[in-house]
Order: sequence, then C-alpha cells, then structure tokens
Amino acid sequence: MDENAQRIDEFKKEIADMRVRPPEDSAERVWLIAGLVLPLLGLGAIVLGWWGASGSAYPADQLPYVISGGLLGVGLIVAGAALFVRYSMTRYMRFWLLRVIYEERAQTDRTVETLERVEDLLRAATRPRAKADQS
Amino acid sequence: MTLTQRIDDPRPLLELSGIRAAYGRIEVLHGIDLRIPEGAVVALLGPNGAGKTTTINVCSGLMKPTRGIITIAGRPVNGATPDRLARAGVCTIPEGRGVFPNLTVRENLEMMTFTGKPFDRIEAEAFDQFPRLADRRAQYAGTLSGGEQQMLALARGLATDPALLLLDELSMGLAPLVVEEIYDIVGRIAATGVSLLVVEQFARTVLDVADLAAVMVHGRVVQVGTPDEVADELSERYLGGKRKTQLTMTAEPET
Repeated sequence: MDENAQRIDEFKKEIADMRVRPPEDSAERVWLIAGLVLPLLGLGAIVLGWWGASGSAYPADQLPYVISGGLLGVGLIVAGAALFVRYSMTRYMRFWLLRVIYEERAQTDRTVETLERVEDLLRAATRPRAKADQS
Repeated sequence: MTLTQRIDDPRPLLELSGIRAAYGRIEVLHGIDLRIPEGAVVALLGPNGAGKTTTINVCSGLMKPTRGIITIAGRPVNGATPDRLARAGVCTIPEGRGVFPNLTVRENLEMMTFTGKPFDRIEAEAFDQFPRLADRRAQYAGTLSGGEQQMLALARGLATDPALLLLDELSMGLAPLVVEEIYDIVGRIAATGVSLLVVEQFARTVLDVADLAAVMVHGRVVQVGTPDEVADELSERYLGGKRKTQLTMTAEPET
C-alpha cells in the first residue's frame, strides 16, 4: 500500500510536470501569427502594385495593378490588423481576468486571516470573564 | 446541488466538468460532470449508446472534448495526448480487450517492457495475479477464451503500474461466472489503491466492487450515488417506476 501511495505521488508529479497546451491556445496562436503575417503580405502586394503601375503612364494599364495590388494589399493589412487586435485583446483580457481572480483570492485569504485573528482575540478576551462567571 | 456534488472529495484524481463531445456534428456527450476520488472504484452504468465509451475515450485523451474541462490530479489536461497520459499512469483497457491475437501470451506481456520494467518482473506479477495465464504462456492470445483474453488485457494494463485505470465493458461477451471472476480481480486491484473508472452494462456485478456509481443516459449523467442507491434506482427504472427518463439497461446478464 505504501508502494502504491508512492506511485500515486509520482503520478501526480508527472501530471503536474506535463506540458499541456490547451487546444484553443494553438488555434489562437495561429490566428495571432496570421495577424502579423497578413499585413506584411499586404505591404508586399502594395509595393508590387506600385511597381507595376509605375511602369506605365496610361491609367488604363495602371488600373489592374491598383486593383490587384493596392486594394488587395489594403484588404490584407486591414484583415491582419483586425485579427491581431482581436487575439491580442483576448490574451490581454484573459490575463487581466486571471489577475483579478488572483487578487480577489489573495484579498479573501487576507480577510479570513484577519477575521480569525479577531476571533482569537475575542475568545481570549472573553474566556477569563466566562470562567469568573462560573466560579 | 448538482449530482456530482454528492461525491465530497474536494480533490478527486479525475474530474470531468461540463464535458461535451461530438462525432462530427453529432454531439454524444451533453455536459458530463463526474468525479473519481483517489483510490475509489466508480462504476459508470448505462444502456447502449449512452456515451459511456466516449466518456472513457475522453478521459484517456483519445477523443478531444468540444467543451468542458478534464482535470487529473488537480491539473487540466484537455490538450494532453493519449500516449503522454498513458506514460504518466492513465491506463485504458478498451472494449474488445485489445490484445495482439497473433502473439503468444508471453509476447503480449513482452510488449509492455516499453515501460522500462524488466520482463521477468512483468511476467512474475502477471502470472501471480492471473495463474491461469501461466499455463497458457506459449499459447497465441487469439486462441484464448474470452475471459483469459480479458485477463491478459488486464495483466498488460497492470504492467504499466497505473494510478488510474479505465475499464471499458470488461464483461462483454463473457459468461456470468467468468465475469464474476474478472470482477474479483478488479476488486483486488482496487484494494491496492488504484483509482478505477469501470464502464459496464453488467450492473449487479460491478456494483459489488464499486464505491460509487453513476448512471448515464443519452449522453448525460442522470444519477450519482452509492452502489445501493443506484441499485435501488436501477431496479425501479427496470421495473418501470415513475421515471422521467427511460432506461432500458439490464440488471441481469443476458442469456
């Protein structure tokens, strides 16, 4: 039985040391990376569009570059920025929420400790009187 | 008060909270709450299609829940892979035994040396707990009787020194006497302090060794209690009392 208790302790330690990434976290990371990569691609598309349009003096020739380079580039930058803000905010809000919970727990612990001290003091103060009343 | 709050252990070894799981778009677990206290045997009962095996698969990491938290030893392990959990000490004996039929009993046991445990020790422990396997050591696992195959599956599982053992339908396809024998062994395993989640339709036999029992119907845990409480309830359900949920499981082995 002692051997088994030791095994259970080992098991708990192994589980505690296990590197576990929540599944939603991996998806979130992918979206966050996409939020960084898409604006870069968008900038690239704009540069390519500008490079293509600058090769011609005729607006009719420049228009396809403006549409495929400029608009696509702007679209990618906006989409990337939106993703980045959305998932950064999610991370920040999660951290903030955990911080609040942690603070609240610490505060509750401090309150309970204080109340216990007050209770002990009150007990100590009332004990002699109770004994005196009995005698 | 939720059903699971009746199990008072504040730090269970395994806890499922609001687990939902689906095969494609079809959700089969609709918010399972279950606690396996340390060193306890919990029987999970229910009719076919209730979601018992899916629950086991979720616990062992074979299936990812769509929602909810799986906590083992106080740690959320939703993203853990089944092999990582198995290495830590979560052992699953699947429905249908899962032995290698074209390997001998010894070879099947030899497969478990991946744990780093010496083969001599694995073999000695297996034959000590299941003497019948010693007589069959050179026999192909596929030619063993159903009960012997189940014993071999258990022996292989125990070779990993599990802290948490998940047993799925041990009694499937076995004669009642063999089932009793197998559950005697399960009782002995439980006495060593291993926590067990036993999924079973063979209600009466498993309730004899269980500390707690839960009843699942249609992907939900509808009752958690002591084996006596659950047995009474099962009888009422079986005999057609005033039940909100129809439960068609058998309390007696089918003939």
